Amino acid sequence: MEAVGSWQDKLKDRIPEELGREIDIFETQMKLRRRGEVDERLFAETRLRRGVYGQRYDNGHRHDGTQNRELAYRDHPTKGPETVWDAPGMLRIKIPYGKLTADQTDVLAELSEDYADHISHVTTRQDIQLHFVHIDDTPDIQRRLAAVGITTREACGNSVRNITACHLSGVCKTEEFDVTPYAEALKEFLLGHPDVQDFGRKMKPAFSGCAHEACGLVNMHDVGYIAKTREVDGQVQRGFEFYVGGGLGAIPHDAKVLTEFVTEEELLPLTQAVCRVFARLGEKENRGRARIKFLVAKLGIEEFKKLVFEEREQLPHDPRWTAYIDELPDYDEKPLRPPVPLQVNGEHTPEFKAWYETNVRAQRQEGYAVATIKLPLGDATGDQMRAIADIAREFVGDAIRLTVEQNIVLRWVSEADLPALFEALAAVDLAAPGAETIADLTSCPGTDTCKLGIAASRGLVAELTNHVGHLNGGTDPALKGLRIKASGCFNSCGQHHVSDLGFYGISRKKGGRLVPHFQVVLGGKWMENGGSFGLPTLAIPSKNIPEVVKRVTDRFLQERNENETFHEFIDRWGKVEVKAFLQDLTEVPAFEEDPSFYSDWGDPRVFTMEDYGEGECAGEIVPLVEFGLQSSEREVFEAQLYLDAGDMDRAKAMAYKAMLTAAQALVKTEYLDVTDDPDHIVTEFRTRFHETKRFHDKFAGAKFANYLFQTHESGGNGGRPEQARDQVQEAQLFIEAAYKVYERIGTQGAPA
Amino acid sequence: MSAEGLGPLESAEVSIKLFVDDHAVVRPHELIAVFHRWISEGLLEDELTIDVANYEHVPQGPGIALICDKSHYYFDVRHNRWGLRYRGRREARATGKDAVTDALTRALKAAALLENDPALEGRYTFRTDQVELVIYDRLRAPSEEATLEAIRVDVEAAIAELYGEAPRSLGLVSVPKEPFAVAIENASSPSLGELLGRLAPAG
Ligand code: SF4
Repeated sequence: MEAVGSWQDKLKDRIPEELGREIDIFETQMKLRRRGEVDERLFAETRLRRGVYGQRYDNGHRHDGTQNRELAYRDHPTKGPETVWDAPGMLRIKIPYGKLTADQTDVLAELSEDYADHISHVTTRQDIQLHFVHIDDTPDIQRRLAAVGITTREACGNSVRNITACHLSGVCKTEEFDVTPYAEALKEFLLGHPDVQDFGRKMKPAFSGCAHEACGLVNMHDVGYIAKTREVDGQVQRGFEFYVGGGLGAIPHDAKVLTEFVTEEELLPLTQAVCRVFARLGEKENRGRARIKFLVAKLGIEEFKKLVFEEREQLPHDPRWTAYIDELPDYDEKPLRPPVPLQVNGEHTPEFKAWYETNVRAQRQEGYAVATIKLPLGDATGDQMRAIADIAREFVGDAIRLTVEQNIVLRWVSEADLPALFEALAAVDLAAPGAETIADLTSCPGTDTCKLGIAASRGLVAELTNHVGHLNGGTDPALKGLRIKASGCFNSCGQHHVSDLGFYGISRKKGGRLVPHFQVVLGGKWMENGGSFGLPTLAIPSKNIPEVVKRVTDRFLQERNENETFHEFIDRWGKVEVKAFLQDLTEVPAFEEDPSFYSDWGDPRVFTMEDYGEGECAGEIVPLVEFGLQSSEREVFEAQLYLDAGDMDRAKAMAYKAMLTAAQALVKTEYLDVTDDPDHIVTEFRTRFHETKRFHDKFAGAKFANYLFQTHESGGNGGRPEQARDQVQEAQLFIEAAYKVYERIGTQGAPA
Repeated sequence: MSAEGLGPLESAEVSIKLFVDDHAVVRPHELIAVFHRWISEGLLEDELTIDVANYEHVPQGPGIALICDKSHYYFDVRHNRWGLRYRGRREARATGKDAVTDALTRALKAAALLENDPALEGRYTFRTDQVELVIYDRLRAPSEEATLEAIRVDVEAAIAELYGEAPRSLGLVSVPKEPFAVAIENASSPSLGELLGRLAPAG
């Protein structure tokens, strides 16, 4: 056996330099936090922006049904407010527009086995989540991901989250055009962009190839783009209908049209302008009202539009806005095998036919099909993920995508290969039929792992999955296309508002005891990009929800008019009638009579709200300047390490960089467009903070500012090597002075 | 975390699985309540038990998991075989031969708890002639014969000490991309009680 090193060594030639550096920085930030040298609030947002999330019970307490128990972890600094360092957490891995290669899928399999609970969980936003992960493992996980081109950067926190898109983009019969390269361009442009670092809350973008299908779900996104074409001077021009301000949560908002047609050239700058307006005017104090939908509602879409287009006019030109357009013709997903049509006939098994009917969709490219792998609750084992990678290599190459219905699709299957593909999937239990039907239910993590969960949405969905067989969903066409979705709380990660039968977790009291309930939301529209939201009806005890599903679907079958959709049926039926119809199911028997009502699906503990925690979905609202100052501290720490190692040149260079970073952070409080150019930073700093004497110290005057000016004039690396120690100390003092100035700005308010 | 110069059995991620005698008796759902009770009653010595995760909906998956601070216990059904899996996490509790003994001991104790759990009415019993050892650490323990050779002596010594004789065979049962897994075939199948009786008192 070869001697082993570390993942850092092993993968150093395969990790892009910038990604590697970011991960090293995160590891240093972890070290600093462990030493208590970074504030916990700041560290929490830092780790969230790297996808390192909290998980239920990470405050060190857990209710076991009878009492609240302390979990006696080792005593470390926390990793966020009331978040124990050693408590297992979740890692969110953003997979832009759900596109995975076979190699990436292999690595996800490995990570789920090596660091989590052997499960890769597909989310409703085309991410992968690993649960029960220890924070100390996260740098190595990130390195292993980086080696196959995946970053977790900005997977959580108040940033631009994963950019989602239809999983059929490029192969769909109804799309205007393939939105994939546009989603990719926007992702590249926004990742780490300075204009997306100062939001009061997250921003979720989505692309859709058409207006009428569901897959892009643009209507419920913060920013959304529906592909459109128009003719200009006889030429077909591509663009997007640009939406803004959609969202789910407790009060869902339909997205509003920002512009009916944004051209390819304007897609990135207009989005940048939206980000700037959101960063500048979005709510920062009250996180419950900080999503862009509230800003749009507050200002009105016309005023919001006006501000965005004004902002667009003022944006300094960026060549990246249009650079991607030249590369568009090169983007093409190539099939692995030639197209061969398939006639499904009597020779095929009933199992294959059932799967073919629901899980296979013909592509717009003749002779090819998309096959959906239906994952129960979005979960796949390491073995299954590996098998998917191998099956993909055999049949479709790298054409794998995650879906917002928590499934995985293989695209570009030559139709004649479908029977063999089915056999290969069946061998690893991945050939269940019923994809994208009533039998394909969706759930967020709920109380299983989410700190904000109120009720067990996964437990409910597992239970309902056992019941949908009785609904004859497999054969009755009226029921077949219905969607059932559940969320553990009103935050709606399970997307219940846009399902036919939706549920979200709440609690109610009966006889002094808490009882898990779900609010029943009926008649949401899944099609048309999540076209409209369902009707909230009434709160029903969790244990009665299967009966709700049965009754409502039976009634639909019996009383629907010809061709009436479920959405139309609920509309016609009306809230009052629906309530009366389900009213008896709101009754909760006394505990002594039936204690089962007092615990949740899949969780035998007596139901409690004591495990309900402070969520991290929102992240901590940390101003941009604090990130800058934190980075400068980390850099001075690294300068110290170089000093200790006797590397004087690097120590000096890093100390200089630390001062520049701190100066830049201050400048950004009033001038966001300051670049990374040292001359630019020093000039702006001199004008705004030195000449105005705002950086002056009460006793030392301009002393600390002069540290920066002198070092800068000497090219940052001047002086004798022995001066490195002084330079590191000067950087330290400069950063402390910067913090003091920032505190003063905080109390006096930033200048206009 | 760095793994400079360390061998496979220095890994924290050593796992031992004991298989049930009779798959027909397994009703995984009932283990959710059992594991919750283990948490509330603190039945697993020397473990900080945290939570139960239910994966019974996943075919050939981790089944029901009991998550602890420095280990996971699963009643899993990987490769369609139900069994109790102990799996270390994060910090090695022992190294070399002792790592095997430690993992085996913890798996035996957890399996014995299941055998004796009143809610399960004695339906769950475990065979000990077949044991699976897995190391979920691709850096230190790649799935290859060389890894098996590197740990062979320690595994044989740990088994010999507990069973009174060396295993009949050790065989690599994982393909290169899988976590390194070894099937240990023993000449006898003593009861859990017998094996636990031979161990030093828990500490
Ligand atoms: S809907 Fe609520 S319970 Fe579900 S993941 Fe979102 S915040 Fe958590």
